Formats: sequence, structure tokens, C-alpha cells
Amino acid sequence: MTSLPDRHDRRAEPVPRPAIAWRVSMPRITSAAQFLPYILFCGAILAVPSFVSDPFLLNKFARYLALGLAAAALALSWGYCGILNLGQGVGFGLGAYAMAMHLKLKTSPVHTGSAGLPDFMVWNNLDHLPWFWQPFHSGLFALAAAVLLPALVAALLGWFMFRARIAGVYVAIITLAMLAVTNLVFVDQQAYTGGLNGITDLAWFEMGGVEFDPYSPAFYYLSAGSLAFFLMLGMVFTRSKAGLVLRAIRGGTDRVLFFGYDMASYQCLAFSLSAGMSGVAGMLYAMVLEFASPTFMGVPLSLSMVIWAAVGGRGSLLGATVGAILVNGTQGSLSEAFLNSWQLILGALFILVVVFLPNGLAGLVHNLGARLSGRLRGMAADRAPSALLNRR
Amino acid sequence: MDILLGQLFTGLSIGSVLLLVALGLAIIYGTMGVINLAHGEFVMLGAYATWFLQSTLGLTLLPCLLVVFLMVAAAGWAVERTIVRFLYRRPLDTILATWGIGIMLQQAVRLAAGADLRYVQTPDQLAGSIDLAGVAIPSYRLFILAFSAALLGLTWFVVQRTEFGMKLRAVTQNREMASCYGIDSARIFTLTFAFGSGLAGLAGALIAPIKSVAPDMGTNFVVDAFMVVVVGGVGSLFGTVASAGLIGGGTAGFAFLLNDTLAKALVFLGVVVLVRFRPQGLFAATGRR
Repeated sequence: MTSLPDRHDRRAEPVPRPAIAWRVSMPRITSAAQFLPYILFCGAILAVPSFVSDPFLLNKFARYLALGLAAAALALSWGYCGILNLGQGVGFGLGAYAMAMHLKLKTSPVHTGSAGLPDFMVWNNLDHLPWFWQPFHSGLFALAAAVLLPALVAALLGWFMFRARIAGVYVAIITLAMLAVTNLVFVDQQAYTGGLNGITDLAWFEMGGVEFDPYSPAFYYLSAGSLAFFLMLGMVFTRSKAGLVLRAIRGGTDRVLFFGYDMASYQCLAFSLSAGMSGVAGMLYAMVLEFASPTFMGVPLSLSMVIWAAVGGRGSLLGATVGAILVNGTQGSLSEAFLNSWQLILGALFILVVVFLPNGLAGLVHNLGARLSGRLRGMAADRAPSALLNRR
Repeated sequence: MDILLGQLFTGLSIGSVLLLVALGLAIIYGTMGVINLAHGEFVMLGAYATWFLQSTLGLTLLPCLLVVFLMVAAAGWAVERTIVRFLYRRPLDTILATWGIGIMLQQAVRLAAGADLRYVQTPDQLAGSIDLAGVAIPSYRLFILAFSAALLGLTWFVVQRTEFGMKLRAVTQNREMASCYGIDSARIFTLTFAFGSGLAGLAGALIAPIKSVAPDMGTNFVVDAFMVVVVGGVGSLFGTVASAGLIGGGTAGFAFLLNDTLAKALVFLGVVVLVRFRPQGLFAATGRR
């Protein structure tokens, strides 16, 4: 970044002075302590099958974990670098369709005889499998595509946006429009994507001799394992230098530019990593529901992900994950009669969180923790005031 | 020639509906910077209010309009007073909070009026069609076209020629300075939000006879209306009109060549490219913001 943007020259806004005092008084937590909640959470979700044997419950939990992963992916781009991606469904949907295409090919000979064409292609008068469906015979290819395709699409879109320093509201609008475009294209290309119905009647995924029946512990471990892996990966990523730069971008873009960082590359990196993660989430979601549909790329689902992340805490991967699990878990455990008013409660809850708790439940926990440790320190200070003075 | 004229009218007709829905949004976003994702739900409220007035009191569409405007404006007033006013300094959060409002309104209507589709009758005197140079044009579509033009004129008059409009423009340019001159900026914003919501309600009432009325009808409108406002340029009424025409015409043109779904996808793709290169929109207001 060699030249300074000219618009900064003209607009002489008073730069807010960095709140140094606040930063110094922030409790310095060691990185081990920051990892602890993540390790506990991952251990807890991996231990669930030892206590739960009901296949329907396991299936339900596996679904919540997949949605939790989607919310964590959103928190990575939104909470950590201020990219409000309203089109999270693009990556989610691409991942879901990549896996659904593979699983459909595994089942289609059963449905349509020796030609091996998926049923909806037969209905749309296709006589042979399109070339881009061919590689999806391989499960490994489908897995790779479910991660890499969303990441690639996001990298391209990110490069397109962030090179021009598009930020804030305009990112939200562009991603929303891209979500609508993807949804419409998948609905329109009925012969290749199953149109409005999507791809239904999927087989079970099979890899290395293990069959992932969505109601089995094996599938639950796949879901929980993916979530644990990506939470840890995300945690390491956000603690790395790249993560630091990203948080700096969230704090104030101008300063990062003045330090000579290539801001767009960092934003692209976070954006595509987030999309890859939501691709995995979508893949798991298609496997657990045994279909993929254009509603995965609908505006309501993508904005729901934003709600989950906001309720749990956009600034924390774990917070967003827990938010998604909590919201979906509550919704799933309510009776039909109560489900109607649930949407009202969810809307109200969401508004309250946005207005009063911008950092969500994670922020609340963090504040309570800080207050508690502050009080403990205060008690210690009463006993030994000189020690505190020396430290200051 | 007939086809061309027919297409031209289809474009104009789509554009006028877009303009109708986008006008309220343009006012709210352009002057207050609030991205109101509940706008579609205000449109939906307007449609339901019309249906309600028609089915209980037996009113025809035209007398309904004023009542609907006031009802939805009151709803907008309440929303601004209770929620939106806390978020003026956090534009991204308005997206989220207003989406939450939208969810609540949708569900409230679903609970109150049921999830079934509702139908609103076209007034008898507008039910036919008019022959224009060999092309049959539904009179109701013409009526919508004329009505959106009239509403546009009214909005322009309110913003440019009334005392309220002058205060609004002052607050838009510099809120602190306007307050120093004794303008009650909070009240101006509340009234603006109510006015924009009322316009959305009118849009809903007018659209009700040509689309089916359902609790989730707003979601599609809000995305479309957003694209219109963003393409047109923030704070520019003329831009909103031009972009409604452009997007309406584009949709109609592509739909003629391809199909409706792909046409919409292509238009949205065009919007993405445009926002990338001109985030301020085609006709950005030149005043200081």
C-alpha cells in the first residue's frame, strides 16, 4: 500500500484518541485461559454420545452443531474483522449442494435404473449426466468441493469488494444481493439443481468403510468433530498475527492502512476462511436433513444466522456457536402450540440483544467475569494496598 | 411495435411498483441513515390493513388509502420511539434490530389474521383495461403508475417546500448544528420515520389487489426496494425514481429475453457491480452529509 487514499486528505475528521488507560487496565488473560472454554466445550460436545443413546436426539444435536458451525463462521468474519456478511447462505448452500450432489449420485441408480441419472434430471429430459456432476461420484471430491468451492467464491467476491475498500453497510448490501443471485440461479437451473425442490432422497455418506447414518453416533462424531476442529482452527487463526491485523481492521481501517498493511488480502483471507467453514456447516446440514434446498440460500436463513451469532456474541467464535445451539435448541424443544409465539419472543430477544447487549451473551459473561475478578482484586487491594501501588 | 410498447409498459409498471415500495425506504435511509429491514413488513401491514378494512367495513380500496396511511404511520411512529432511536449512531445495528422488528410484525400478523393468502378486490371502476395504440393496458396498472407519480410529487413537496421538510434537511446535513438552532431533531426523525412507514403502508394497500397478501410477502419487497435505493443514491429522490425505472426496465427486458427468475438474478448482479464501482449510487446527493 504505497499511496494514501485521497479522500482522507480532504476529510479532516478529528481522530479519536486511543483509550490507552482502558487498555492497560484490561485484565491480561493468558492464552491458556482463553483456550480453556473452547477445550471444555469441545470435550463436552464430544462426550454427548456417552450419555445420549436416543438416535433422534443425536440427530437433533448433530443438526444444532452444524448450525453452530455456521454461526461461528459468521462470527469469524463479522465479529473479528467487521465484515457483516448477510450472504452467509452462499457458502452454506454451496457446501450443502456439493455434498447433496455426491449423495444423490450414490442413490440415483436405485431410482432411475441403469442410466444412473438423478430423478429430477430425468423429469427435465436430460439424457446424460452434465460434466460438472461427473466428479461428484467421488466422495473425496465432494468433501473437498464443499470446503474449497465456497472459499474460492468468497475469495473472488472478497477480492472484488475489498480491493475497492468497500466496507460497512455496502458489504452487507453486496453480500445480500449475491445471496439473492445464488438463490435465484439455483431455483432457475432446474435440470441441474432440482429447482425449487432441491436435491432430495439422499444416500448416506460413506468414507473409509464407515457409513454415516444421520441417526448414528458416527455421524454425531463427524458433526461434533468438525465443529471442534474449526473452533480450534478459528481460535488459533484469531490469535495469530493475521488475526491481530484483522481485529485492527475492525477497530479502524485508516490506521491499518497507514501502517502499510495490505488490508484487502487480510479481509479476503478471513472472508474465504469463513465461507469455507460455512461450506462445511452446509455440507453437514444437508447430510443430517438428507436433502439440500434453495431455502438454504434464502434470505431468512442467512439473517437467522446473524441473529444466532448476535445473541451468542459476535465477538466470540464460541459465543456465536453457543448462541446458535441455544436458539435452535429452544426452538426445537417447544411444542407446536408455543412455536407461534416463539417467533415473537425470538424477535424481541434479538432486538433487546442488539440494543442493550451488542456483544451478546459472551459479552455478558465476560463483563460478569471481569466484574467478579475486579471485586476479587479489590478485596486483595484492601488487604495489601502497597502491592497494588507498586504494580501501577 | 406492439411488443415493444407492451414491454415498455411492463417495465414502467414494474418500475412504478418498485418506486412505490422504495419511496418510503429512500426517505428513511436517505435522511436518517437507518437501514430499515422492517420496511417490507410495513408494506405487508398496509396490505393487511386494506384487507381488514375491506372485509369488515366493506370499504372499497380508495377510501381505505388514507386510513391505511395513518395506521401504518402510527406503527412506524411506535417503532421509532421504542427501538430505532437508540441506534442512530450504529447504522449496522439498525439492520439487525429492524430485522427483529420484521420477524415480530410478521408473526403477530400470522397469529392475528392466519397464515392463509388473502385477496383484496380491485375497485370496479379500475377493473377493466384501456386500449393504447393497439396494446391493452390494465387500468389498475395505469392507476398505480399515476399514483406513484403523485406520491413522488407529494414527497418532493413535503421535503422541499414545507417547514417540516426544511427542518428535516437541516437535521440531515448537521444534526448538532440544527439542534443548536432550536430544531427538535428527535421529533423530526420520528415524524420522518412515521411518514416513510406510512408510504410503505400505502404501497402495500395499492399492491394488495395485484399480489396475494401473505404474512411473509414483505421479505421480497424489502430486498428489491433496497437495491433501488442504493442504486439511485442515498438522499436523492430523483435517483430513486431513475433507478426504479432502470431496475424495472431491466427486469422487464431480461424477463422478455430469458425468464423472470434469471432476469432478477441478472439485475441483482448488475447492482453488485454498480455498488462496487459507485457505492454512493448513480445520483448521490451533492450536499454535505
